[in-house]
Amino acid sequence: MQTLHQSQLLQNTAEPANNQSESDAPPKQVAQAMERLNQAARVIADIRLGADRILEAMFVASQPRHTDMPLQLFLREDASMRQHLQDLRLIGKKLEESGVLTESLRSRSNSWGLHMPLVCPDGAVVAYAWKRQLAGQAGASAVDRTRLALKAFTDQKRRFFPHIDDGLKMEPRSKKLCASHLLSENGREDPVDYKTLPDIQSRLEKLVPDVKVSTYGRLNWLKRANYLPGSTSDDPTEASKPIFQSSSKLRSGIQNEIVDKIAVIELSFPSVFRAVVSLNPAGSVDPDAVAFFSPDEGGSYLHARGFSVYHVYKHITEHAATALQYFLGFGTGTALYSLLLWICSFESLFSKPCSKCGRLLAMDNKSALILPPLHRTYQELPLAVKTGEVNLDICEAYHSSCSPDDS
Amino acid sequence: MPVKWVLHWQPNQGSTVSSQILNEATQCVESINGVKEGRWKATLNYYKPLLRDQTNQAEFPRDFLGISLADQPNKYYFIIRSQRIVLEADSSIQLIMERLQSYKSKVALYFEGFQYQLGDFRLRVGKVVPTHSENVRGIVMEVEYLPISSMEKSRKVMEEFLEIWHEALSKRSLPGKFVNIDLNFGEFGLGDNYTPQHTAVRYALVMAHMIATVQAVRG
Repeated sequence: MQTLHQSQLLQNTAEPANNQSESDAPPKQVAQAMERLNQAARVIADIRLGADRILEAMFVASQPRHTDMPLQLFLREDASMRQHLQDLRLIGKKLEESGVLTESLRSRSNSWGLHMPLVCPDGAVVAYAWKRQLAGQAGASAVDRTRLALKAFTDQKRRFFPHIDDGLKMEPRSKKLCASHLLSENGREDPVDYKTLPDIQSRLEKLVPDVKVSTYGRLNWLKRANYLPGSTSDDPTEASKPIFQSSSKLRSGIQNEIVDKIAVIELSFPSVFRAVVSLNPAGSVDPDAVAFFSPDEGGSYLHARGFSVYHVYKHITEHAATALQYFLGFGTGTALYSLLLWICSFESLFSKPCSKCGRLLAMDNKSALILPPLHRTYQELPLAVKTGEVNLDICEAYHSSCSPDDS
Repeated sequence: MPVKWVLHWQPNQGSTVSSQILNEATQCVESINGVKEGRWKATLNYYKPLLRDQTNQAEFPRDFLGISLADQPNKYYFIIRSQRIVLEADSSIQLIMERLQSYKSKVALYFEGFQYQLGDFRLRVGKVVPTHSENVRGIVMEVEYLPISSMEKSRKVMEEFLEIWHEALSKRSLPGKFVNIDLNFGEFGLGDNYTPQHTAVRYALVMAHMIATVQAVRG
């Protein structure tokens, strides 16, 4: 797994999509760091071998002999061992300077964190989409990461090679059944509610009265995104009318077929933000991407893998990728509901001050911009969802520089 | 349209406004990582009616303003603040007024300066000068928060930004401060969603305050 991860990362450092403004582009930093780590690994292997040889020399020396071969061997190994250790120290120093071994890198540059650049337009196939999921779970354990990588691979495989039936489709369903069995014993909420989209939607609307939830097929969402008033448009009300009419016509006509193909959920808090969640496969309750936008934005770039033109929503989208991975990693089939609830906690984006510094606006050190708290804690949500006691106040607000998480 | 606040410079008792203050304010914007984008300009006209019979002059409102905004090059805005009227017209209205010989501009002012981007904020700092002179009559500052257009939702953000701004500016020990005036937009028939008409009304209010300040100093 380690080698695979490393080689994939090395491959990806060749990706051109990079709009960071550091003097050394993150891919180069990553490449250098990876090379140094490889060197370190080789030196460590040499040290191990050297240690074996020294022990061997000592063993031979303990046998009664009259040559001083063991002594020569010992001296030679001692010298080479010292050299190896010196090399390792040098590499370690270089790694420390580039921040790999210390916390400073996380705050200084974006190459290791969640902001690994990814050009992944909706609809256009980019096979490295899974990389984002991996990067997003930098804080998780190796086991979780492996599980997520496997899930991401199988998702992509299912999406792009559906004709290859590998029986994996059976697994998630049986997992969900197990989970629901558990919930009905312990949970207060009816577990059936997490399995279908309309149930999730109605539950959410009851809990959060100000949210507007809408669902779309992939194509319908694209049409709606294009009709949404952009910042240059003059007349918002006129523009949003036509698409609703056509989609309702479609809905009344072929009801069942449409329900199966729901691939996009739009969560909107008027005047605060619009969030787009994509489901994969269409018709399921498995989210695979989320993005935040201004309520005044419109255009074809408005989709779950797109980025807002405004810094505040762009940063939240990056943070949301981590949260999504966390929810997916929880594995009890509550990922979508947890995600939608967590998104709703951003209703207070422009009003709730940071729990650490007490201010609403703060200068973000990384981007040198004045921003409101972009982080909402998510770690306790899946558990709360499981036990049925959901209160969005458990999602504390933090500025990115005030956040207790490393991300 | 993004929410915008319009501040004006209120000099301390006994001090006057000058372009030095504008320079200081500009430098302050750059100190909080503002990126210069270019120049901006707006023009404002005070109108008085052209009457054959001058005795009727008093019946006509004295605060009839016309303003062109940098954001809306094709529009012209009229405000009669005492009557709480604001109107958006095509910029060709000025030509029509000239032809009709109905109202004449008695005072014309420019607002001009530089525009800065600070992430999701846009700042414009500028001086107020009469059209044919270099005499700085005042300084204005526009603060725009681009992501949202609801005045209510953006209130806290704008207030805290101003706190940050005041804190940054206070280090320069200038003889005065930037002031924002709250007003009831509802009286003008304007709602929570920000529009250029809101900006026009803000400028009318700023002008009224600046004139009052000058008169207070003189009187």
